Amino acid sequence: MQMPKADQDVIGRRAEIAAGLREILPAQCVIDNEVSMKAYDADGLSAYRQMPLVVVLPETTEQVASVMKWCRDHKIKIVPRGAGTSLSGGALPLADGVLLALGKFNQILDVDFENRCVVTQPGVTNLGITHAVEDEGFYYAPDPSSQIACSIGGNIAENSGGVHCLKYGLTTNNVLGVEIVTIDGDILRIGGKHLDSGHLDILGLMTGSEGLLGVVTEVTVRILKKPATQRAMLVGFDSAQAAGQAVSNVIAAGIIPAGMEMMDAPAINAAEDFVNVGYPRDAAALLIVELDGPEVEVDHLLGVVGDIMSQSGSTSLRLSHSEEERNQFWAGRKSAFPAVGRISPDYLCMDGTIPRKALPEMLTRMASMSQKYGLRVANVFHAGDGNLHPLILFDANVEGELARAEEFGNDILRNCVELGGVLTGEHGVGVEKRDLMTEMFTDEDLKTQQRVKCAFDPDHLLNPGKVFPVLHRCAELGRMHVHKGDVPHPDLPRF
Amino acid sequence: MTIYTPHNFSALEEIMAGLVADKSAVNIQSSGTKAGLGHQTSAGDELHLHKMAGVIEYEPEELIITAHASTALGEIERLLQERGQMLAFEPPHLDKLYKTASTGTIGGALLANLSGPRRLSAGAARDFLLGFQAVSGRGTSFRSGSKVVKNVTGYDLSKLLCGSFGTLAVLDEITLKTLPAPETSQTLIVAHPDLTQVAGAARAAMQTAYEASGAAILPKAVHEMSQNCAIAAIRIEGVAVSVADRIANLQTALSSFGHCDVVPQEASEALWADIRDVAPLCGDDAQIWRVSLAPSAFVSFAQSVEGQIDCRYYADWAGGLLWLSTQDEGAHHFIRSQLQKSGGGHATLMRGDDALRANIPVFEPLDPALAKLNQRVQHSFDPYHLLNPGRLG
Repeated sequence: MQMPKADQDVIGRRAEIAAGLREILPAQCVIDNEVSMKAYDADGLSAYRQMPLVVVLPETTEQVASVMKWCRDHKIKIVPRGAGTSLSGGALPLADGVLLALGKFNQILDVDFENRCVVTQPGVTNLGITHAVEDEGFYYAPDPSSQIACSIGGNIAENSGGVHCLKYGLTTNNVLGVEIVTIDGDILRIGGKHLDSGHLDILGLMTGSEGLLGVVTEVTVRILKKPATQRAMLVGFDSAQAAGQAVSNVIAAGIIPAGMEMMDAPAINAAEDFVNVGYPRDAAALLIVELDGPEVEVDHLLGVVGDIMSQSGSTSLRLSHSEEERNQFWAGRKSAFPAVGRISPDYLCMDGTIPRKALPEMLTRMASMSQKYGLRVANVFHAGDGNLHPLILFDANVEGELARAEEFGNDILRNCVELGGVLTGEHGVGVEKRDLMTEMFTDEDLKTQQRVKCAFDPDHLLNPGKVFPVLHRCAELGRMHVHKGDVPHPDLPRF
Repeated sequence: MTIYTPHNFSALEEIMAGLVADKSAVNIQSSGTKAGLGHQTSAGDELHLHKMAGVIEYEPEELIITAHASTALGEIERLLQERGQMLAFEPPHLDKLYKTASTGTIGGALLANLSGPRRLSAGAARDFLLGFQAVSGRGTSFRSGSKVVKNVTGYDLSKLLCGSFGTLAVLDEITLKTLPAPETSQTLIVAHPDLTQVAGAARAAMQTAYEASGAAILPKAVHEMSQNCAIAAIRIEGVAVSVADRIANLQTALSSFGHCDVVPQEASEALWADIRDVAPLCGDDAQIWRVSLAPSAFVSFAQSVEGQIDCRYYADWAGGLLWLSTQDEGAHHFIRSQLQKSGGGHATLMRGDDALRANIPVFEPLDPALAKLNQRVQHSFDPYHLLNPGRLG
């Protein structure tokens, strides 16, 4: 993977740039010694590492605005960073870029039960929001697996999901407002405690824009009352195809469970070895279905879903009878990644989405790809919404295995697109899937998106090298007619 | 004046290429039912899209429907209903408000980002557009999004298109997320002479775990259900056993706010259609305003405006959406200045005569830096201002 060529002149001016930043920020907010910066050299996609030019840790929105404006005026690139848990390299530093970390924005500003919302700084963790309101029985619904560590600002950048987004939506469906700072240093407030501001939906556009359009400095999210009852069922099947069909049958019956997850045999066994919670080891596929709501409704739907499962050929079915048991059911699923980490020195976690109906076909293809690449794969899915997380097992110490695993991963994502799906359901494009964007989008589709980028950041200073496989100059994007195959600017950086 | 009437996407592409070459702007319409919403455009020519209609593919098990944007809203709603599904954002039927023959098209509902009572629990129109194909004001066709619900690949341009009133691109194929329709529904009415009391009941209902899918506040005499007394109406939907249980529990929880009554399904559905469609205020030719604000600010906001101008109003979204009608020529001044004092929000003139719409901002004026950003984004799609120029102000 190639990043934009670092500007050696900028790197040479590192001390001068740090000094310039110290003039607009308190001294403790600028870090430029190698030892301290080491903590910022990667995010959750740790296969890629890069020391940043300088790290800044501003403490106020005004300071963020000063940094942005200063960098714009001096044509210095900026990489925004929340908690650094991105699985797609969204916060991977640039050698010639300032890393703008929002870690000091860690305060909840307002808890407003009357309007069912929380106003918070972006560095607060996803789970931190729930902790602030759970005494009153409320919670924040999107629940990415990294919720104990990931920040709400990062959730907005990535439009994070989680196991419960089948019923409760992604981040974008749960954010009411943001304060953002643009590369020009403008502080903009969009939305708030009211719904659906008029004019263009900049809030919706910002959500999932992967740090390329602006830096979020304040967030207003919707909170919900916790459901009265939550119960889960573990259902075994003797084929992944049958389990996939069962998922479709539940949806077709008009039921949207709070979560509907699937694991294949390698994932079931890895998880069972790790947490020992009684997953059926003989099953080829396991579904975890969670229903929530009033007790009578949950009881009723457990019956209906149970019937659908047996009609769909389930081989085993267990219901949770206590909160402890429900948590056990989830423990295996939630520890699937570390569990797989125990059975393989390294693994790559993929994140494509396919139409639900394509699940059996995808599993067949995955098995033959596994043979082709000579690498094992364990599958966990957010089956309810067709979001796949194949874990490709490899050993980085064996020469060529990382490259083979990456090629296997790319092949999976190409197949997702071919089956009518997408490259990423919740982890983001970042650097990881950047070069596959042309599998899903035409040149014009991508240019349309990049022109939006130009409306925010005409000099490509914010997080360049992420999301888009080719950096077009904004002036070039303004051209009206680019014929197919005719590359008008052969000098443009392509990576 | 030229009227262009493409019958398919390639014809549209051809027309757009011509418009770009001539730098000739168009006023875009399909059913024309929302011509009264927004500013009048400065375009000389017309682009009529009504022939680009029809459902392309409906897959109930995948919870998606793909259609041409000019498909009648009613057609989509009927089709979904036959399979026990719905558009969960509950698009308003504004035929009474605009005195039009039809309820418009699905594209119109999306481009105006109009959502009904269930917005509160299920999301807005913009939350249901999964992907689309369109031609930009540059004359180039592009796609964004997909046909799957969970997708974060690239910028979410679907959000941007919703609420853009056709100023970014000409929309053709759209894919929407559908959801199962509830098995049954009932409404709990909480009546009390004091508006503050019923507004409190609506907000309290939303703070319970009973998953209300609608919470409206109707002042005395604004609707036949509130003939003698202000009421809060709380809608509960779902499987029958759950609806009965939640209605009973909610009644217990809200009994301290006022007198409670349960409205059965048929009457409940009629009431929510009225609330969704602004029926209580449509009778005359008065201005109609739609004000989005923090729910807790509703009562003081409404009563302050009422103290300054002659008006009628009610609220949806637990107080977060105020519908107001008035004959007062200067109403916009009072509404917008009071909104600023009430913590901010957005006031939109949904219905007003041509002269009024020419003289005041139909949409809430933006802060200058945000307005500039909006213009730059608009420019990136439509650099020559060919598509509905001036519609947003």
